[in-house]
Amino acid sequence: MAENATPDRLVSQSPSEAEVVEALDSLVTRPEANLIGALQEIQEGFGYLPPSALERMSKRAKIPLSRIYGVVTFYAQFYTEPRGRHTVLCCRGTACHVKGAGRVLEAVQRELGVEEGESTPDLMFYLETVACLGTCFLAPVMMIDNEYYGMLTPQKVAAILQNFRAERQ
Amino acid sequence: MTRLESIDALAKLRADLAGQEGGGTVVRVCSTGCRALGALGVCEALEREIAQRGIGSQARVVRTGCHGLCAGAVVVVVDPAGIFYQGVAAEDAAEIVEETVIGGRTIERLCWPLEGKAVPLKDDIPFYKHQTRLVLRNCGVVDPASLEDSIAHGAYSSAAQVLSTMSPEQVIEEVLASGLRGRGGAGFPTGRKWQFARAAKGEPKYIACNAHEGDPGSFMDRALLEGDPHLVIEGIIIGAYAIGASKGFMYMHGEYPIALEHMQIALGHARAAGLLGSNILGTGVEFDIELRVGAGAFVCGEEIALMASIEGRRGMPRPRPPFPAQAGLYGKPTNINNVETWANIPRIIEMGADSYARIGTDGSNGTKIFALSGRVRNTGLVEVPLGITLRQIIYDIGGGIPGGRKFKAAQMGGPCGGCVPARYLDLPVDYDRAKQAGAIIGCGGLIVLDETSCMVDIARFLSEFCRRESCGKCVPCRIGTKRMLEILTRITQGEGEEADVERLERLGRMIADTSLCGLGQTAPNPVLSTLPHFREEYEAHIREARCTAHSCEALITTPCASACPAHVNIPEYCALIAEGRFTEALDVIRRRNPFPSVCGRACHHPCELFCRRGDVDEPVAVRDLKWFVSEQVEDIGEPPTWPGPREGRVAVIGSGPAGLTAAYFLALMGREVKVFEQSDVVGGMMATGIPAYRVPAAALERDIEYIRRAGVEIETDHKIESLKELEEEGFDAIFIAAGAQKGARLELEGEEADGIHDALTFLRKVRAGEIQSLEGRVVVIGGGNAAVGAARSALRLGARSVSVIYGRTREEMPALAEEIDDALAEGVEIHYLVSPVGFEGDGRVQAVRCAEIELGEADESGRRRPVPKPGSERVFEADHVIVAIGQQPELGFTSSDDRVVVSRGRIEANPVTQCCGEAGIFAGGDAVTGPATLIEAIAAGQRAAQAIDVFLGGRGELPRDTGFASRSKPSPSEAEIDRITVRMRGPDQRSGNFDEVRLAYSAAEARAEARRCLRCDLEK
Repeated sequence: MAENATPDRLVSQSPSEAEVVEALDSLVTRPEANLIGALQEIQEGFGYLPPSALERMSKRAKIPLSRIYGVVTFYAQFYTEPRGRHTVLCCRGTACHVKGAGRVLEAVQRELGVEEGESTPDLMFYLETVACLGTCFLAPVMMIDNEYYGMLTPQKVAAILQNFRAERQ
Repeated sequence: MTRLESIDALAKLRADLAGQEGGGTVVRVCSTGCRALGALGVCEALEREIAQRGIGSQARVVRTGCHGLCAGAVVVVVDPAGIFYQGVAAEDAAEIVEETVIGGRTIERLCWPLEGKAVPLKDDIPFYKHQTRLVLRNCGVVDPASLEDSIAHGAYSSAAQVLSTMSPEQVIEEVLASGLRGRGGAGFPTGRKWQFARAAKGEPKYIACNAHEGDPGSFMDRALLEGDPHLVIEGIIIGAYAIGASKGFMYMHGEYPIALEHMQIALGHARAAGLLGSNILGTGVEFDIELRVGAGAFVCGEEIALMASIEGRRGMPRPRPPFPAQAGLYGKPTNINNVETWANIPRIIEMGADSYARIGTDGSNGTKIFALSGRVRNTGLVEVPLGITLRQIIYDIGGGIPGGRKFKAAQMGGPCGGCVPARYLDLPVDYDRAKQAGAIIGCGGLIVLDETSCMVDIARFLSEFCRRESCGKCVPCRIGTKRMLEILTRITQGEGEEADVERLERLGRMIADTSLCGLGQTAPNPVLSTLPHFREEYEAHIREARCTAHSCEALITTPCASACPAHVNIPEYCALIAEGRFTEALDVIRRRNPFPSVCGRACHHPCELFCRRGDVDEPVAVRDLKWFVSEQVEDIGEPPTWPGPREGRVAVIGSGPAGLTAAYFLALMGREVKVFEQSDVVGGMMATGIPAYRVPAAALERDIEYIRRAGVEIETDHKIESLKELEEEGFDAIFIAAGAQKGARLELEGEEADGIHDALTFLRKVRAGEIQSLEGRVVVIGGGNAAVGAARSALRLGARSVSVIYGRTREEMPALAEEIDDALAEGVEIHYLVSPVGFEGDGRVQAVRCAEIELGEADESGRRRPVPKPGSERVFEADHVIVAIGQQPELGFTSSDDRVVVSRGRIEANPVTQCCGEAGIFAGGDAVTGPATLIEAIAAGQRAAQAIDVFLGGRGELPRDTGFASRSKPSPSEAEIDRITVRMRGPDQRSGNFDEVRLAYSAAEARAEARRCLRCDLEK
């Protein structure tokens, strides 16, 4: 299974020069490298796309930095700042919406004290929404990292997040 | 896996695998979709149990893809018997192995329930019985991580046949002849697309598989990728051969981790086996597939954007031509199809184009997979022949709408599809006819909406999606969708303007006409497809700031209080009951509704229909709680008394629920109120139309006494002849609440005969004690509460038999479900689908002649039209016939007064202020609406009181009803109990008397039930 955000990596620190160089060397030398795949790998490695890595990538792979940023800013999946270790991904698909996803998202926001696209101050959680997780039978549904939580109510959400935090402290 | 060097090697491997398979039990566990509910734990537990018992040679566990019936997750099928288990947990593993695998017995509690019975076999479950699972045949059967298992189930046999016996042209001919159209959305004929790509000049040629299933509400491609990846790969290989492509890309949705994992494994296996790469199966054909993962942009499902993304660029569309077949990936000819389309290809080759084309309708051949979700019982994946009706999909396969709610619309074809309303339930679903209904089949998302879904909010939600996903390249889409969203948002917040509807239509058409790609062209569809069918919902938001689905957060307090026509603060009084503060709870109810005793027994409780607890298990028993407090608090209590002198005199005509409610609130507001009742009993329909076993006289008297204590004067036996009479007496305002007391007639020959009664007259005489016995056979005509009440009363009066005849089915019967259940339990027979055509008997009725009825296609509301069967006849012998087919107001006293407009037998009044147009005259209740419900009449009285008070110079304020209960929720463990049902006297104790049938909660039960309330009011 593809790992999204690696759960327990510390992402708050900036990558060292050496790490950036190492990460990029394999990408630049890889045959048929495509930009999106390379960015996905950098992000997987660092937990985000450090601007220093993008600059270095531009120089080494001879891709204009503007083009790299064009792609980075177009796709919802890419981000250039560190994020919380665990991504809470709330589905806002149609089936979820019909079954009260709006109130579920509000409950998550209340519980974590953050808005969509923000991390909690302790960098435990990052909150994001997604167009559809394709698990409409679980509606309303959210994912924490790669784990599904379905048939949610605002009440259940609070309990799930509290348990999740307690188990990891 | 060794490399397969030839076509024969594949055939030999398949034969070898078939030989090894042998007997033994196979336990197939859905390990993809069901993973969310613990499927992997179930697999491990089953394997452990099998190993512990040392029966590994006779039984094995297969981790399969989706079985389709996701509502039953975790789903397990025990083959070869075909036993289907649902809701399986790891703790069930030992019992499954012991009982079913070893013992061959079924475990009833894990079987699919149908009307109270367990259905053990998968093939007998209606969900599966009505499907044609062609493409999904092996999904849920094979182990997607095993190439061998897939080959044993037929994988790559079509590819082998194509590579060894057919020319590329023949393959394209076959696909053309099959009539297959693209399953991704647009429905373009697949064979034609292939022809273009084959004919196009340029090398190399590319294949792309669109696995970027981005439409919310779609998961058919996910299931195929996860559950049968080799079927998709095989389809692509066949396409590559037909077109002459040597390289393929699969572009996958970024949020599909399991699909990605399974596809990576499958591609690796296929390469190792020589099914991909150079010299496939020794035929000299070269082709491979590279997997790319999307990075979260919906527009990349659009083919041009998808190809841009594969090339590593921003996924933005451009105008076509050139089409992908001319200049696609890297400027070369490219053929792009979606996952489900590719998955159809091996089946077409296998069964032959002719057989395939026979499935479905003309122009829409084959099957289509729908992802059924939303407000439907059996959510999951459904594969049906094109041309099946929505009713078959939603009711026969989907099991209908849960929670007693009604179907409202089906949101089809993804966010930019459309909403199909109830009137099209019987329309065959195929590519062309879906368009007639204002929708598209699209990729097959089918989200069922019921009464709790606000169509304006749905349109706003879908428009928000389109606005977010607009790539921003062209102006109409980028700015137009934003403007539409702004308008929709303000409508759902109650700030819409009258011109907004027209603005939306104009903007929508403009965006559709001028946008660059499919996303923009279809972005206005959510609005354009809901406006024609649900215009009145838009208007209710704009004109009255009212959301009829009780879902727009800005316009409601809680769904229950909003759904209650009288807006009783339900969470508040539930919380007070939970705290044991019963007197205060009763007080909160009376601040909006002075009839807690009557409504606690006889309300049709729309609050419960919209209760959000109903989405978790069952709604809170709001009505039974109201009944409890009305009984529990023995003291009738003292309403707040008006301190100063009363100003403004108001006359109320009629002492039914509307009249008395208006009088009560006007008295609280300091007006002098007098109620005129023409009969000798107070209470209107509450006193004469509801049998005593539902509302005893003492209960009604309690509520009336409380109203009197508020300062209301009631005069009986006073028939008002004209409004002038009241004005001359010095009344400043008049509220007409005369009700609808006259029974409607069937207008059939012989209706005047003896023994034929009107239900309302009958019920009134029974309550007055004028009818004390009824002998012989009784036939009741009708399906409402009056019909059922008359039937149950007749039985109590000693009738030998009582039959109710009704023209449709139980589904459509307007009577309360519990009333029907009770009637059946007491011995009332109900005959559905018969309609009276005449009476027999000379002077005295002897029988009712009826025609049999068939249900035809849906009417405007989605109910199926009753159509008499020609030549059919059924005769019901009867000594008494009770006609209960509706009621009409009696408005003779207004005839001389041209200030009161009566149209179609009803008074015309403003639905918000209840004002009749002329200053000082107001009307409400059944006299205005026609026969409606108790609580709607109470609400009309409440609104009238407010309007009359304003008319008399007051502020029209109702008593404050918030801030009494504590603002904390019950603990989760307290809230987790099941709904508590009230006890009832047994049917044998009910005959011959009119004692109450239901028994109110005990205090402990009531407090426990009240703690089930989710306190949605605290979410604000």
